[in-house]
Amino acid sequence: MKNALKKTTYLSISMVAVVVGLMMALQFRTTSNIDQAVPLDRVQELTIEKKQVERDLNQLKEESVDLKFKLEEAGKSHTAATDALESELLKNKLYGGLVPVEGQGVEVLLDNRPDSSFYNIKDDDLLKVLNDLRGAGAEAIAINGQRILSTSEVRLAGSHINVNLTRLSSPYKVVAIGPSATLKSSLELRGGLKEYLNDLGVSVTVQSEDRVLVPAYTGPLRFDYAKPTQR
Amino acid sequence: MTCHVPITQWSFMIYIRGRFSLKTFHLALVAVGLVLGILLAVQFRVTLEIQSTEPVQRAKTLAAQVNQVKSEREALQGQVGSLRAELDKAMSLPQTAEIMEELDRARIEAGVTELTGPGVEVTLNDSIVSLKPGQDPNLYVLHDEDVLRVLNELRAAGAEAISMNGQRLLATTEVRCTGPTVLLNKNKRLAPPYVITAIGNPDTLESSLKMKGGVAETLQFWGIQVTVKKVPQVIVPPYSGGTKFEFAKAAA
Repeated sequence: MKNALKKTTYLSISMVAVVVGLMMALQFRTTSNIDQAVPLDRVQELTIEKKQVERDLNQLKEESVDLKFKLEEAGKSHTAATDALESELLKNKLYGGLVPVEGQGVEVLLDNRPDSSFYNIKDDDLLKVLNDLRGAGAEAIAINGQRILSTSEVRLAGSHINVNLTRLSSPYKVVAIGPSATLKSSLELRGGLKEYLNDLGVSVTVQSEDRVLVPAYTGPLRFDYAKPTQR
Repeated sequence: MTCHVPITQWSFMIYIRGRFSLKTFHLALVAVGLVLGILLAVQFRVTLEIQSTEPVQRAKTLAAQVNQVKSEREALQGQVGSLRAELDKAMSLPQTAEIMEELDRARIEAGVTELTGPGVEVTLNDSIVSLKPGQDPNLYVLHDEDVLRVLNELRAAGAEAISMNGQRLLATTEVRCTGPTVLLNKNKRLAPPYVITAIGNPDTLESSLKMKGGVAETLQFWGIQVTVKKVPQVIVPPYSGGTKFEFAKAAA
């Protein structure tokens, strides 16, 4: 009798314990899973993506309003049509880099430091500067007076650097229009490009200005291969 | 619960032995039963709720919204494209032929039109080299500089228009590699493999990348997969948004 009692009690107690244990384990797992179920990153990523697409949408809406207006104008008379054409041309030249532009921005001066005669500024260094400025919101950039277009190359040729097939030599003055404080800080941030180039032996001075001038591209524009898609 | 039989059995037995009263035993059982019941109920609820928790729900709705605005954007892009064509037709008079040509060129530079022409397709992908212990994995992944160098090489070889994974490269396009993705055109995210499409002389473009000691060779040394393919006709899409300058104004 006593033994039987012990056995059943122990058995049932251990069964209950097993069930409780399993439940606790399960509970623990699910609670720790909740945070991982959707990484918060994903939500942030999607939020950012949505904002960007919405910005695209707004810009496209403006463009379509502008085009509609011009289309209406063009229908009125010949002179109105030529006016519409002129303004459409000017707009595209502005965004294409074929018009000189001015605005707030920065002037970046890059020079080989006299104390380190071993290093010559390379095309990669300039490309990185351009990339940083673009990332920080630069709208127009020129190096030593050469406007950077979507087709501009920056290429080492001996001790010179070619931009738009024009030979440039140091010191390099990069002028960029955009949010001047952001442009300046993006280059000067700790561990950023200025520090990196300084370590290589390049002196970098960044100056933000209320008004800088970025010249237009004046070279030839020839497109032998690219044609607008015919529909 | 299913422990009815044992309960009576035990209680009877315990009663006989006289150590506990039946009442306390029952009370204890009820308490345990209650706790277990509550635990089970909570457990059940929690598991159910995970499916509808805030982040999951939010991510789902966000994804749907993103898809919606994307299709809106596509529709609007088409609309803008046809408006532009219509405008061109309205504006093209005998005396404006020259300006129209200039406009076409300006539009190519501004990146607002879809372009077709011969060119190359360059595919870049992260390294397939399996690292030995002690090797720096950083050396074997694609960096901003690598992409910039490829693009620069294409431009130097006379590329007239370039896009990467469907994103048109403008004069203001930045390239940033963050972990497994590349960001460009103000943080638009691209996923590997990265396909760079360039319009230009296919032979010149190909040989400039593939020349000895050139970009392709350097990247291949680090195990980064580079393939260059000449294509008789490639399409470079227009920029996905519209361009707008906030700071730069035309100088008189």
